[in-house]
Amino acid sequence: MSDAADQIRATNGRAPDVLRVGGWTTMRQYPDDEEVDFVIVGAGAGGGTLACRLAEHGFSVVALDAGPYWRPLEDFASDERHQSKLYWTDERIVDGEDPLQLGANNSGQSVGGSTVHFAMVSLRFRPEWFKARTKLGYGADWPLDWREMWRYYREVEQTLKISGPITYPWGPKRPRYPYRPHQLNAAAQVLAQGAEATGIKWTTTPLATLSAPRGLAHPCVYRGMCVIGCATNAKQSVLVTWLPRALAAGAEIRDLAMAGRIEHDTRGRATGVRYHRDGLWRFQKARNVVVAGYAIETPRLLLNSASPRFPDGLANSSGLVGKNLMVQSNQAVWGMHEREIRSYKGPPSLALTEHWNYDDAKDFFGGYCFMSQGTLPTVAAGIHAKRGLWGQRLVDEMQRYNHQVGVKMVGECLPQERNRVTLADETDRFGLPVARVTYSYCDNDKRMIEHALAAMRQNLAAAGVGELFDETDDTCHLNGTARMGDNARDSVVDADCRSWDIPNLWVCDGSVFPTCGGVNPSLTIQAIACRTADRIKALAARGEL
Amino acid sequence: MTERFPGYDVLSKRSTPSWNQQTRTVIDARLATNPEAHAFFDSVEWETLKAICARIIPQPADRQHPVPLAAMVDEKITTGATDGYRDARVPPMGEAWRRGLGALDAEAMARHQRSFGQLGAAEADGLLSAAQQGFLTDPAWDGLCAELFFKQRIIPDIVGAYYAHPTAWSEIGFGGPAAPRGYVRTDFDRRDPWEASEARPGREAVALRENQRVGRS
Amino acid sequence: MARRALADLEERLPAPRPTARMFRLPVRHRRQEATSAGRQTNVAAAVLALSVLADSSVEHYRGSFRNPAMVAPLGAAALTLAASLLGAADDRPQRHTGRDAVYALAALVGVVGLGFHAYNIGKRPGRLSWHNLFYGAPVGAPAALALAGVLGRVAEKVREGERVFGLSADRVLAAVSAIGLAGTVGEAGLLHFRGAFQNPAMVLPVAAPPVAAGLLGAMALSPSKPLGRIARLLLRLTAGLGVAGVGFHAFGVHRAMGGWRNWRQNLINGPPLPAPPSFSGLALAGLAALALMRGRDDD
Repeated sequence: MSDAADQIRATNGRAPDVLRVGGWTTMRQYPDDEEVDFVIVGAGAGGGTLACRLAEHGFSVVALDAGPYWRPLEDFASDERHQSKLYWTDERIVDGEDPLQLGANNSGQSVGGSTVHFAMVSLRFRPEWFKARTKLGYGADWPLDWREMWRYYREVEQTLKISGPITYPWGPKRPRYPYRPHQLNAAAQVLAQGAEATGIKWTTTPLATLSAPRGLAHPCVYRGMCVIGCATNAKQSVLVTWLPRALAAGAEIRDLAMAGRIEHDTRGRATGVRYHRDGLWRFQKARNVVVAGYAIETPRLLLNSASPRFPDGLANSSGLVGKNLMVQSNQAVWGMHEREIRSYKGPPSLALTEHWNYDDAKDFFGGYCFMSQGTLPTVAAGIHAKRGLWGQRLVDEMQRYNHQVGVKMVGECLPQERNRVTLADETDRFGLPVARVTYSYCDNDKRMIEHALAAMRQNLAAAGVGELFDETDDTCHLNGTARMGDNARDSVVDADCRSWDIPNLWVCDGSVFPTCGGVNPSLTIQAIACRTADRIKALAARGEL
Repeated sequence: MTERFPGYDVLSKRSTPSWNQQTRTVIDARLATNPEAHAFFDSVEWETLKAICARIIPQPADRQHPVPLAAMVDEKITTGATDGYRDARVPPMGEAWRRGLGALDAEAMARHQRSFGQLGAAEADGLLSAAQQGFLTDPAWDGLCAELFFKQRIIPDIVGAYYAHPTAWSEIGFGGPAAPRGYVRTDFDRRDPWEASEARPGREAVALRENQRVGRS
Repeated sequence: MARRALADLEERLPAPRPTARMFRLPVRHRRQEATSAGRQTNVAAAVLALSVLADSSVEHYRGSFRNPAMVAPLGAAALTLAASLLGAADDRPQRHTGRDAVYALAALVGVVGLGFHAYNIGKRPGRLSWHNLFYGAPVGAPAALALAGVLGRVAEKVREGERVFGLSADRVLAAVSAIGLAGTVGEAGLLHFRGAFQNPAMVLPVAAPPVAAGLLGAMALSPSKPLGRIARLLLRLTAGLGVAGVGFHAFGVHRAMGGWRNWRQNLINGPPLPAPPSFSGLALAGLAALALMRGRDDD
């Protein structure tokens, strides 16, 4: 079995070739004391994508990631319990009125970030969401134009060879997805039947998993273990798409490298990153520092980098670092189907409806989509346990596992300053203060959840599913905590993801979202990273870096 | 109740293309768990934990090798397999378990004058139900909320262990490990020949026959 | 109905020029040529039937034979294969009632199968959508069985003489082959589109065979020597593609997760091995038609 979890792999001029068992590929390396153009903290959807595009633009790039550098073909077992090695399971404290559940569902600790275990749902934002305040009356406007984002979405969809429907039923016309949709499993057909019976549109889900071969990557074999890591390499994660390109373009990726602190000089410019790797604390010099640790680790690092000059943490003159944390509500309705569903087969969310993202006649702000579900045994059992079943009743209910079917929402929660990431008194294995994550739904969030639960119950009932029950306490995807905006007072970074306070400090991940939309964020995070790389290139050309 | 998946044993697929070597290694280790191994809990806590496991997941009396739930919980704590978050109201995993087990034992003593491990099924279930609903307030809880202990430790740690075990997979008709081979037939009521067959009324014999063939490469 | 349409078509076409010369041919020679073209068409039907037999076996095995009717195409295709092989070995210049009956049965089963498959697609969510064309019961497969039956019928008629349904046999055979090829191109195009044309070679079956089908169709309408030469070349290419396609698809099976060791999955979900030879079968029929035409021209 692999030793990637505790031994660095990307070293000695080579990094794992993720598409070959035991394979290696050459990697350019930079000494710590060489001032590279960019050091990027985090090699997931934001940082990994950015590392690739910046390297391809000719910059010298070092990307640090706290997680191991996996070769999925040889390192991933078909086992939920074992594969929790992909999650960020270091301690974090949760509180608030609705404390979050972190780890499996929303955080990854791998080179490639949580895209290594994401459910691959790759949706575009509704154009109006980029101007949510002006056009829809809630949240905040993004400093980005949707038409520009539409182009970057295209770039990401092509890179990930998204398998999607021939025509997408909502929003402005979009180009054809590069790969065709996957076959539907029974769980997806239930959603489709329910949607047709209730007169709303549905579609096959655009997914970042191959429906046909691509290079050395195999097409999906419908093993259904997507959220515990794809051992087929069909999943088009950052690990197998952007990062091989990043290496080829001369970027260095350092696995098992935990960033502890960003240093700055007397002028207040960032000078590099102090990080822990191979048993030692080290310091990588850099002309620019990019933080891409996702909505918890990003503010944690900025706050942990507080100094006499920046006592409230870096890039925090607005006081907004860590604030406006947004989850997406992830409630579900489940029931039993007379026929066998066996939702453990195939990608978990093969069909979805965005109906309520595009219908504005609702008594709440924001939108949501809901999609079909696949559950592996421990997750399925957890759902029953959450509604109070244990003992023989639980064991009996689980005997009907193959008949269980459900749909789950991804709902847009509103930004609230009271929802935030702060530092706790406890420290982690590196001696760094851990994050305290405070979360409470607002009334609008609760109204949306009620609406969605009713819509999902209606969907399943119309498809002939019985014994319905709600799962009311799940959340997914974390966004916000370093929002982008038009001015230094109301935001942490500008449209280019550059911090207002420190011109050579950038943030590039889901933290920059001012609002979170009613769809999964990974495609948007990658699109922003592509845009940021292009903007950096343009700024550099004008001498404005 | 008759078996729902007669003759189905997910382990019969061990040498088929449904299992790769890394999966075999992981599952072999799990199967080799010594049911009496406990490095974290002392012997009193151990008896209480085993009694709780037996009520949270009752296993058939005639099961030759019951899933070693208590040992799997102990292992989770000793290997530091944290969840990635901790409710601010609940102490870290090991400490929460230690305090919770002690408190449940104290509650058993107070209510029934016996340790938790010596309670009958109905008595134990009664106490666990009370914990689930947050009705237990013995000083031994020492600030730990019984309801949170039940919801955030007892349930996920024990239920999570059980359904991570091949014995449970066979019981519920789960296909089990699936790499390199995945699945072909994903429509309603459709199974690949390497999946469990359900004994619906009238087709018990068919199901048995099909389940016996599951492991054929 | 089809017969009347064909007759109508012929009425509207200019009278075939070569017929005048036909009467100058010695009867025996003409007979031999007809029999030989008929036998070649039997071979074509055999290849097509083999492709259908293998393909429907795999596909209906995937479908777990949950409907007893799903064995029907296997039986019909097997009978068609047997009859066609017997026909290929039979050098008598007469049709054979048994073979004729088998071919009629194949055509019937194919048409009924089309109905079943259309029903299957129609009841899936999305109805007539790209998704259901990709993953619902394939329309092309039962059509291929029906086509094998029609080809066989034509083969039997061809060996009897010059006229089929009152039309000249060579041109009917060319027309049937051209239509069949066009349909097969459609099927391959659909499935290769589903595969996103991820390998450049996937363009081949939608590049050469459509041209072959077009030329063959043109020959059916108005035969000409130069056209015939190009058509023959492309039909040979198409026949070769059908064989090469099996190789490509075998590579595709190897290329999927687990390769050939995971054959129980990859033979079914990977590229279908039995599909490409239907191109070869139809190309052979087209070549037989061209041979008939040329035979007439050369004399």
